[in-house]
Amino acid sequence: MSSELSGDDLTSVASTLPVSPTRDRFQPKKNTVLVSHGRPPWYDEDGKPTGDAYVVAVSGGSGSGKTHVARQIVKSLGSIPTVIILSQDSFYKYHSPEELELAHANKLDFDHPDAIDMPMFAACLADLKACKQSNIPVYSFAEHQRLEEKKYLYGATIIITEGIMALHDPVLRALYDLKVFVQCDSDLMLARRLQRDVKERGRSVDGILDQYLRFVKPSYDNFVRPTAAYADIIVPGSNNTVAIELISAHIRRQLQQRANQFRQKLAIPHLYFNGRSGASTPDSRLEDLDLQVLPQTPQLKGIFTILRSNSTSRQDFVFFADRLSTILVEHAQQYLPYFPKTITTPVGVESHGQILNAKHICGVSILRSGGALERGFRRVINDVPVGSLLVQSDAKTSEPLLLHAMLPVCVKLRHLAKESWVFLLDAQIGTAAAAFMAIRILLDHGVREERIIFVTFLVARGGGVSVLRRAFPRVKIVCGAVDDLMQEGWLEGYRAEGNPEGLGRKIWVMQPGMGQIGDRYYL
Amino acid sequence: MSSPVITPLPPPQPAHEANTNLAHLNPLPKSVFTLQQTAQLEALYTIIRDKNTSRGDFLFYSDRIIRLLVEEGLNHLPVVKRTVETPTGTTYDGVGFEGKICGVSILRAGEAMEAGLREVCRSVRIGKILIQRDEETALPKLFYSKFPQDIASRYVLLLDPMLATGGSAMKAVEVLIENGVPEERIIFINLIASPEGLTTFCARYPTLRVITGWIDQGLNEKAYIIPGLGDFGERRYCS
Repeated sequence: MSSELSGDDLTSVASTLPVSPTRDRFQPKKNTVLVSHGRPPWYDEDGKPTGDAYVVAVSGGSGSGKTHVARQIVKSLGSIPTVIILSQDSFYKYHSPEELELAHANKLDFDHPDAIDMPMFAACLADLKACKQSNIPVYSFAEHQRLEEKKYLYGATIIITEGIMALHDPVLRALYDLKVFVQCDSDLMLARRLQRDVKERGRSVDGILDQYLRFVKPSYDNFVRPTAAYADIIVPGSNNTVAIELISAHIRRQLQQRANQFRQKLAIPHLYFNGRSGASTPDSRLEDLDLQVLPQTPQLKGIFTILRSNSTSRQDFVFFADRLSTILVEHAQQYLPYFPKTITTPVGVESHGQILNAKHICGVSILRSGGALERGFRRVINDVPVGSLLVQSDAKTSEPLLLHAMLPVCVKLRHLAKESWVFLLDAQIGTAAAAFMAIRILLDHGVREERIIFVTFLVARGGGVSVLRRAFPRVKIVCGAVDDLMQEGWLEGYRAEGNPEGLGRKIWVMQPGMGQIGDRYYL
Repeated sequence: MSSPVITPLPPPQPAHEANTNLAHLNPLPKSVFTLQQTAQLEALYTIIRDKNTSRGDFLFYSDRIIRLLVEEGLNHLPVVKRTVETPTGTTYDGVGFEGKICGVSILRAGEAMEAGLREVCRSVRIGKILIQRDEETALPKLFYSKFPQDIASRYVLLLDPMLATGGSAMKAVEVLIENGVPEERIIFINLIASPEGLTTFCARYPTLRVITGWIDQGLNEKAYIIPGLGDFGERRYCS
């Protein structure tokens, strides 16, 4: 990404010379989701997002130190999980051949507000703010052109947009929670610009000054400096450590108010949620849960007996888990739509049959234990893309954390996501915390709730599934068996990354259950 | 006909009524068990019936049907109560599989079902039978057979994808019975059956369970199943 390499907001200049990479190596990258330790739940027990992402705009003249301020904010926020620094540079418009010629002659005014595709900027930011995915344009400074490719972004708790025109557009301004203007003397800005462009972009002093007088300075006076009036905070362009600390303290406080913890409620929902009748009941009625349980045939019972037994060898466990997942996924095919089709058989006779009527089908497995269903999934659906979500429990709070998301293209792109059928694969629904997060992620991407088919070995009916059902009534849940309870247990900790003290933690175990399915399948 | 109207029926959506088993054979013989006649099953058959389907797709989708058939067939085997301890320390009252099984495929098309069988029953023993039409008598004749030694004490899953006149299947059963396998311990697993063949077969061996995926309209003058899917072995191995 050239905009990442290019350092500052670049204004009108762009060099074809490679920029020294050392300057950016230890800096937070732009237009990338920065992750420190995973993303905690961003939704409540009704499945609705608890709030938008927090959006900070950083504006100021070229060379005022916007990027520095943005990066310092990220650094001083410390362990805030997911941050995007969204650069205005990505939103330069697509250029016509004539404009392209001017641009290569350094005669195109990149400092005018019209150079930025404000509606697209606002649309992408609005999506990210609403916790949806966005596929933002990619602008090449070498080619002075918007490229065909897009950059997929999703899942930021904090978005920092930066650019000289960041505060210019009223639609954009309405999206910001905090508006920062970096104030700097013109001579200091020019000095920095000279230094940067000579050193890093190999440009002549004459050229830089010519550009400065022609575009940069008028633009600053006419368009940039007046927008300081919209700022909540004016930050000095140098010696601004205190200002940055104030800003990050403010952001942290705002985020704390939005934090949400409810895994305990999921594990033992009857203590927290009332049944449909209004009374609090320990047993959620099976018919209310609307589960699609496999017919309990002798073979299925036999398979479960083997999988549940603690004396089953790993080979047997893997074999029967594969067999069970195949049966489950076959059963789940009933939720896909079918459509009449007439074909001719090799005997030369017409046959009026049916054919699957779904263009985009994909799987998403919730790692690690969801991987135990992938074999069966691939046996049933040919050549199918399978994405993955790594959701782990926070060692301290036991809340689920999204550590990694790798989604199929038909989910990443919104217009395809609306048409896609997604099979979510996980070994069991216990507290339902991971299932909850996975479904929320798919909905954030625009997948329709009724097109999500959750395939799982086991469901604990006394566990989080009732809350899951309440939040997402239209998701189909296909399972092999239903267990009664969740019981509190203690998982012995061991020293590992993310758990340096080797702390144990409280967990909820399904009874009678199958044990730790991921361990039994993989270890 | 061509307008894409999708009726919002609760799943599973049914197969076209005119295509269903009961439209072709009603009532079914008591010993015949079929897969549920759903749209998703019909969609699998539509792919493998289509003469334009590639060999790769034919393999993939016929394997899916074979697995479903074997799973259904295994449900006719006995199980016994078995209680196990789970890793969470509780007990679970389940069942254990009882009785040894083996597969017997009728060459050559029956061999195509072995892969599907082994995906469900790992390392199961498989015997083979070759039956061909005797050119002099026009009757099916046994050319070759090879079985596990203890076949008489096993349940036998007899594999043949297409049941047309039923001649070779009945000959195969005859051979199995000669080898000491009781009729009621044989389960015949079959993808497509003709009503004529099925009726003859079940009349001859009424206690032998037949698991079939689909019952078609009938036979043409050359004794091919209509609409059928052509020659299963040919499409699976040669085309």
